[in-house]
Amino acid sequence: MSYAVAVDIGGTFTDLVGYDRETRRVVYTKSATTYGNFVDGILDCFVKADLTPEQAQYLNHGTTLVINSFIQRRGAKAALVTTEGFRDILEIARANRPDPFDLHYQRDPPLIPRSLRFEVPERVDTFGEVLAPLDLDALDRLAEQLRAQKVEAVAIFFINSFANSAHETQAAERLREKLPGVYITCSTDLTREWYEFERTSTVAANAYVGPQVNTYIRRLEDDMKSRGFDGTLFMMGSNGGLLSVDRTCRQPVGLVESGPIGGCIGAGAYAEELGFKNVVAFDMGGTTAKCALVEDGRFNVESIYYAGGYVHGFPIKSPVIDIVEVGSGGGSVAWLDSQNRLHVGPRSAGSTPGPVCYGRGGTEATVTDANLVLGRLNADRFLGGELKLDTAGAERAIRKLAEPLGYSGEEGMLRLADGILSLATVTMAGAIRQVSVEHGLDPRDFMLFSYGGGGPLHGAALARELSVPTVVIPPAPGNFSAVGMLLADARIDLSKTFTGILTQDAIGPVQDAFEALEAEAAASLRKEFGAREIMFERHAEMRYLGQRHNIKVPVGSGGDLATIRKAFERDYKRRYGHSDSENPAELQALHLSAFARQQRPDLSGLPLISKSGAAPASRHVYFKEKGGFVDAAVYERSALPPGFAAAGPALIEEYGSTTLVGPFDRFEIGPLYEIRIHCDAQ
Amino acid sequence: MDGNEMNIQPTRNKPESRDAQGTIDPITLEVIRYGLISTTNQIDANIKRTAFSPYIYEYNDFAVGMTDIDGRLVAQCTGGMPPFVADSVGTAVRDGLKIYGLDRLHYGDVVVCNHAAVQGQHLNNTVMYTPIAEHADGSGRLIGFFAINVHWIDIGGTMNNSHDIFMEGLQLRSVKMWSKGEPIEEVYRIIENNSRLPTELMGDIQAQLAGCFLGRDLIANLVEKYGTATFERAIEIILDQAEAAARQHIRNLPDGEYVHETWLDNDGVGDTPIPIKVKVIIKDDEITVDYTGIAEQAKGSINSGYHGGGLTTARVAFRYLVAPDEPANEGLFRPLKLILPMGKIVSADPTAPMANYPMPFPTIIDAVIKALEKALPERVTGGHFATHSGFRLFGRRANGRPFNGHDSGHGGWGACYNHDGAGPFRTMAHGDTRLIPIELQERLVPFRVESIALRPDSGGAGKFRGGLGFEKRYRILEDCQLQTNLDRTNHPAWGVLGGKEARPGNVLVIDEKTGTKTQKNKAHGEPIAAGSIVILETGGGGGYGPPAERDVALVQRDLDEGYITAEGAKKDYGVTVDDKGRVTRGA
Repeated sequence: MSYAVAVDIGGTFTDLVGYDRETRRVVYTKSATTYGNFVDGILDCFVKADLTPEQAQYLNHGTTLVINSFIQRRGAKAALVTTEGFRDILEIARANRPDPFDLHYQRDPPLIPRSLRFEVPERVDTFGEVLAPLDLDALDRLAEQLRAQKVEAVAIFFINSFANSAHETQAAERLREKLPGVYITCSTDLTREWYEFERTSTVAANAYVGPQVNTYIRRLEDDMKSRGFDGTLFMMGSNGGLLSVDRTCRQPVGLVESGPIGGCIGAGAYAEELGFKNVVAFDMGGTTAKCALVEDGRFNVESIYYAGGYVHGFPIKSPVIDIVEVGSGGGSVAWLDSQNRLHVGPRSAGSTPGPVCYGRGGTEATVTDANLVLGRLNADRFLGGELKLDTAGAERAIRKLAEPLGYSGEEGMLRLADGILSLATVTMAGAIRQVSVEHGLDPRDFMLFSYGGGGPLHGAALARELSVPTVVIPPAPGNFSAVGMLLADARIDLSKTFTGILTQDAIGPVQDAFEALEAEAAASLRKEFGAREIMFERHAEMRYLGQRHNIKVPVGSGGDLATIRKAFERDYKRRYGHSDSENPAELQALHLSAFARQQRPDLSGLPLISKSGAAPASRHVYFKEKGGFVDAAVYERSALPPGFAAAGPALIEEYGSTTLVGPFDRFEIGPLYEIRIHCDAQ
Repeated sequence: MDGNEMNIQPTRNKPESRDAQGTIDPITLEVIRYGLISTTNQIDANIKRTAFSPYIYEYNDFAVGMTDIDGRLVAQCTGGMPPFVADSVGTAVRDGLKIYGLDRLHYGDVVVCNHAAVQGQHLNNTVMYTPIAEHADGSGRLIGFFAINVHWIDIGGTMNNSHDIFMEGLQLRSVKMWSKGEPIEEVYRIIENNSRLPTELMGDIQAQLAGCFLGRDLIANLVEKYGTATFERAIEIILDQAEAAARQHIRNLPDGEYVHETWLDNDGVGDTPIPIKVKVIIKDDEITVDYTGIAEQAKGSINSGYHGGGLTTARVAFRYLVAPDEPANEGLFRPLKLILPMGKIVSADPTAPMANYPMPFPTIIDAVIKALEKALPERVTGGHFATHSGFRLFGRRANGRPFNGHDSGHGGWGACYNHDGAGPFRTMAHGDTRLIPIELQERLVPFRVESIALRPDSGGAGKFRGGLGFEKRYRILEDCQLQTNLDRTNHPAWGVLGGKEARPGNVLVIDEKTGTKTQKNKAHGEPIAAGSIVILETGGGGGYGPPAERDVALVQRDLDEGYITAEGAKKDYGVTVDDKGRVTRGA
């Protein structure tokens, strides 16, 4: 029982990474995701990896179950119980149209239909004073009705409960008593910040996925136990930390971005270990590319997330790593519009039919097809040779686009393939610039940390577009999300609305409020993780008096008035370019993050190293800057030791991905076996 | 009236030789096109991050664009408010070119303009722009302008009804704030000392200025990377392609003349209906919008200029119907012609009051859409509630502190060929504008919201039903004053292609002591006693297609969900509803 195991269940593959703390042995496997019972896919991975469930001490698990349930609308029959007069908040939402020129715009329908939204008399004012008590008789009658309608889950939201949660708690207790077996959840168990629509939407979402997540996790635990697993199961929270099974069952919305965050955690851990201050974590997969900023080893956590996207989806008030997603992946389709303008994405050929070169019926040229015809992918060794690629088919599809644009022959086909990659690059660079600009940062001050199936192939071109000097490719980039899950800390984020002017008088109450949040988080971490050493981070949302826009400022523990004020002015200046030492500052909300470091593997033990020492081969690769095909050295990654350095052009191949080094770049292998590409360094 | 608006057309500053036809690699063209839009979007994000006032980061009341050296709009950010897409920034640049001439505009200059004879909107909308040189260090000739239109939070002027533009605040007609890289402190002092909220305004101006400079440098980087000749040729092609795309869409529409007429309730001062009559002519690959039948300039402040009103509404409607997915640039709008005599509410004299200029916009845009119901049956929608429904409670607390609570109505949108109308949303003149949370309102303004609910039966009946309006009930806790601006009560949202009209909105005040109800759709500081109830009801959207064609299962669903009442189902859809709530059609 010495293995830490991480399992990432994606749409196509289930990835497993296991690390033996005693022997420092590491295993990576992939297996097809098994719909119906995901545990089968996990067990397949165990078998392929030559591991047994008994050997696992910890099982860290990330899943796309929650987000898929929202998008495919496969959740429970849920009801909403709310204050008299407010059942339509969920449907009226914020009444905005994020896509101003879509005359036919409509938001996705609410998760709970109007006929299942019920009202009971009660009222609290904005300061938490009770104006009307909760009508328990009305609630009891309602419970009968909910039972008769065979409701599986109940969300409770009362107006102004952020200021006084007593009625919600009371209602939840009463309904649990009256409706055994029904999943009951209330808004103040999930968020204590104000704004009624966001709070209602959050608790409705929690009720919607509650029964399904509970069933899934309990079944996973039971099935794994019946196969001999005797360790502890942890879930990957969207905040980038591990969550206990109990907490996940109470707060399943905390898993909404459970899938893609592994990579961000990994990027943060590598950046910290290697002493990199600022890193852009960049993950390019089959359908999309995702990026996140990591500063000083910490990623930014937002307290709101839009499930299904900001344009059509709904908000969840839950801490989620700030990840920006853009529709450029290996499967992104290249196409011409009515004016013969070339576009790449956002539509993707996905994994079925997939790129033309997969030979599964795809007919439209994709980014992967362009990479193949330019010699960047090895047709015979894709996914370790599991999938043989059809180069002729890819060329035909690209020619179909090239001819209407006046690019003829072989040369024209190659120019167009290169153009597809250029457009994909500018699209992804735009996303990275946007996330940087929004935080007042310059991407040129960052290092690009590139992983996922496509990240290593596109990282150097992207870095050049952004004028980023260095690209870092971690070991096992194709499994990096699962690797990141092995490296996660236990983490709990709590926040509450707290309004007042920042004066000496406010410091006491602020400290008291933080201490209460810390006590609550610490008690949970001790109970759920047996944590002994707990670290806290405090942030306050602040602004100048009279403004409407808050900034989130780190306020160290025990911060006095002067320190908090100084931190506010410093961050304010970074954001706005100036600050004002006279104007009073206002507090709006307090955020607390609590961490307990888990025993995690030594990063230098993670790479797979072969001693084969195979001599490098070479291959023709197209580079526009060289005017065509040139010979590029092809390396087997597992044969390259730390300290190895060479000039591009080069391809570094491994299972699941290929790293491309440009003709004017240099690369070296770093101490953790990471590849470092120095762009235009020759 | 000196007819200035009519003269603000592009003149050619570019030597003919630089316009020479030349081929350009189609991939380079796409990379430049993407670079232009990406730059404006980056500056958009930068402004939202650095601006002070909620008009900018919550209302998105700004636009970022780039023009060429003739002031033609080349690229604009993809978000922003619909009334800004119509080239508000290019109009200002062309006025500056007319006033200064290109030889007196230099790298490092910054010009601002909010003038009624130029933009023709309320004076808050202020365009700021700076010339772009060939190189990021400012060397080389000028190749265009980077421009940002921002709603300045306060520029003085009366808080109540204005009688002319001079009561509405400070006018700046193409005034330099910076000259050759140096700020002109006198201009800053004039602006700062003519605003009620100088801190916020100067903060926003700083954000606008930083955005102009950063945008200028990013565009110059693009020009340096690809060369001036390639860049300028790319711009010509981008504009021509947008034009060709629009013409291709229009060529597929049936030729003809299409008309619709409706009325606003009044101009906010008088009590005479305001006629909104539009004619749309589709011929070959051009669309002409004829506003000859629209109301004359009004006494109330609902006027706008030729460019800021007439051309703006026509272009917004054009974009909704013909080219929602094409980025806005000068080429896109080339196939759109406008017939608009001067002196109408949307081509008013620059001295006319314009504080409430967008008030008729949603109705005008919607009338153009309605006129085309037979020509574009799969594009048009039933009318929307189409009124800003401004709602403001203000006064002083018992402790003497002032309060000022802005709220607004959100109503139903029209149904379309394949689904029911959506909403409640704000109007077609708004975009990503969010309502203010009740939990925040109750903290700031002395009222308690007793309920907010969808209004059953408020959507127009049809094969597809119009979206619903809402009803919001406020319990007033301290004496205060009410200001409202809710229109379209006499001519609510219409149906299209056989769909039925919706119910209009309404503001009702119920006196606590007497129980009397009074309608207050256009209140100007009406005193409201503590304890009273104020009800804001918003209108629904119009239906699409005959109600008799509505799937009976959808009528049943609407009844089950409470979107319609049993009575409404019977009356609007001719169905029977039994005592168990089961809907059947026919005998």
